[in-house]
Amino acid sequence: MSKNPTSHTPIDVGDGAAIPNKNDAGLFTAWRIAFFGAIFVSLYLAFGKSDPYYEIFKFVPDGILVTFKVTFGAILLATCIGLITGLGRISDNRFINGAASLYVEVIRGIPLLVQIFYIYYALGRFVKIPDMLSAIIAMAVCYGAYMGEVFRAGIQSIPKGQMEAALSLGMSRGQAMRQVILPQAFKVVLPPIGNEFIALLKDSSLVSILAVSDLLRRGREYASETFSYFETYTVIALIYLVMTLFFSKLIGIMEERLNAGK
Amino acid sequence: MQENSRLMIEAREVSKFYGAFQALKNVSFSVRDGEKVVIIGPSGSGKSTILRSINRLETIDRGTIIVDGMDVSDPKVDICKVREEIGMVFQSFNLFPHKTVLENLTLAQTVVRKRNRREAEQIALELLKKVGIAEKAAAYPAKLSGGQQQRVAIARSLAMNPKAILFDEPTSALDPEMIGEVLDVMKNLAQEGMTMVVVTHEMGFAREVADRVIFMDHGQIVEEGTPEHFFTSPDHERAKLFLSQIL
Ligand SMILES: Nc1ncnc2c1ncn2[C@@H]1O[C@H](COP(=O)(O)OP(=O)(O)OP(=O)(O)O)[C@@H](O)[C@H]1O
Ligand SMILES: [Mg+2]
Repeated sequence: MSKNPTSHTPIDVGDGAAIPNKNDAGLFTAWRIAFFGAIFVSLYLAFGKSDPYYEIFKFVPDGILVTFKVTFGAILLATCIGLITGLGRISDNRFINGAASLYVEVIRGIPLLVQIFYIYYALGRFVKIPDMLSAIIAMAVCYGAYMGEVFRAGIQSIPKGQMEAALSLGMSRGQAMRQVILPQAFKVVLPPIGNEFIALLKDSSLVSILAVSDLLRRGREYASETFSYFETYTVIALIYLVMTLFFSKLIGIMEERLNAGK
Repeated sequence: MQENSRLMIEAREVSKFYGAFQALKNVSFSVRDGEKVVIIGPSGSGKSTILRSINRLETIDRGTIIVDGMDVSDPKVDICKVREEIGMVFQSFNLFPHKTVLENLTLAQTVVRKRNRREAEQIALELLKKVGIAEKAAAYPAKLSGGQQQRVAIARSLAMNPKAILFDEPTSALDPEMIGEVLDVMKNLAQEGMTMVVVTHEMGFAREVADRVIFMDHGQIVEEGTPEHFFTSPDHERAKLFLSQIL
């Protein structure tokens, strides 16, 4: 991206649920209303309305577990890919830098849904691995590109003098990176990784088009048998909402702790 | 005084370009073992550039720089070996903020010098005592004043047992009341015989400590001599003008 000469503060709109911050009173209130509202409505539907909601709530939890597995697996793998990509993007080696940049550009230019299909079937062509693992790899390859940019920005945000001080003490570039730059960069990238995590949690619903029984797919299975589409998707939406709001809050608290520790 | 001691740093005909702009123009000078050389000159004259070329934080385009017998200008030379032996102290301290004061001093000792932790810590504590902040060993740099941070930075480079230390305006970022404590540490070092190359605007320090003063302007060494000569009767107009402005 080119530098903006007029240097406005960049408008930063993440694609994950906003991480609530006590200083943003409006958002904080909205978080509470949405979170507790969703839980209340869920409880009301399950126990107050019972049929068919109770049945749906009994049917889908298997899918929640799969959604978690895909999300956590993919975020871990994507973070590793992102770190390598980020380091590649700042490398002086033309080949490594070119490869990392190409990866980022290609991935960012293809819709996520198309990539998931593509990677899933491409993998299926060459190796025999479980469907869930293919799905995790597909998600991680996509998110790794975005994560690479997060790491690149994080590393570049560390003042130049840090690397110079480390080098002037006789450390190699690798040693300086591991001992001095990355530990500081990790603190910088933690909030954006939190955002990516929440975005990934939601995007993981895309793997339901593959043979992976995540939350959304379990819902589809139930709905297509019972024809209660509206009720099923109401429940699915509520569960996703509670999950994303819960994790955004959790990440917010972790960040606060981290900042307090400074 | 060290007329016949060996050469620690030797720069020959060094030129450096930033694009079309020539920051160093055929700069030659040498520093003998144990010598204290102060580089002064107006802003933008190339003082930092020449200093940073000595440990290859900047690469030069022409000329040679030999440090402790190693050719810094030769890309095949392992620059880490040179940097192990030559300390550097920056204007902005550049302490590692995620490490305690003690860890700042032990990191390179363990990673580069391969000392074990106990030995490194012992050396670190002794050096912290020497620069007068032993009680801050467990603190993080952010909790220290600027003067304290710079003293830690000096101790950090001393922990590597360097053969020479390069200082780039070590007191320029400090509040006036803290300049003295850092200069005192540097004066002590000088007394102990450390080889020092110091870029500074502290003329009192230069007069008192320098064996030799190098005056730079527009990427060139304009004048070089003893502090007595330079501060009382410089040969060149540009040096006279500079001194009249700064003193
Ligand atoms: N990275 C760079 N790109 C382009 N020009 C540079 C760069 N670094 C330094 N210069 C230029 O080279 C010249 C010498 O810079 P240098 O930092 O060595 O000056 P200095 O004598 O240390 O000045 P000061 O007292 O301000 O620190 C200056 O004109 C500066 O603008
Ligand atoms: Mg300078």
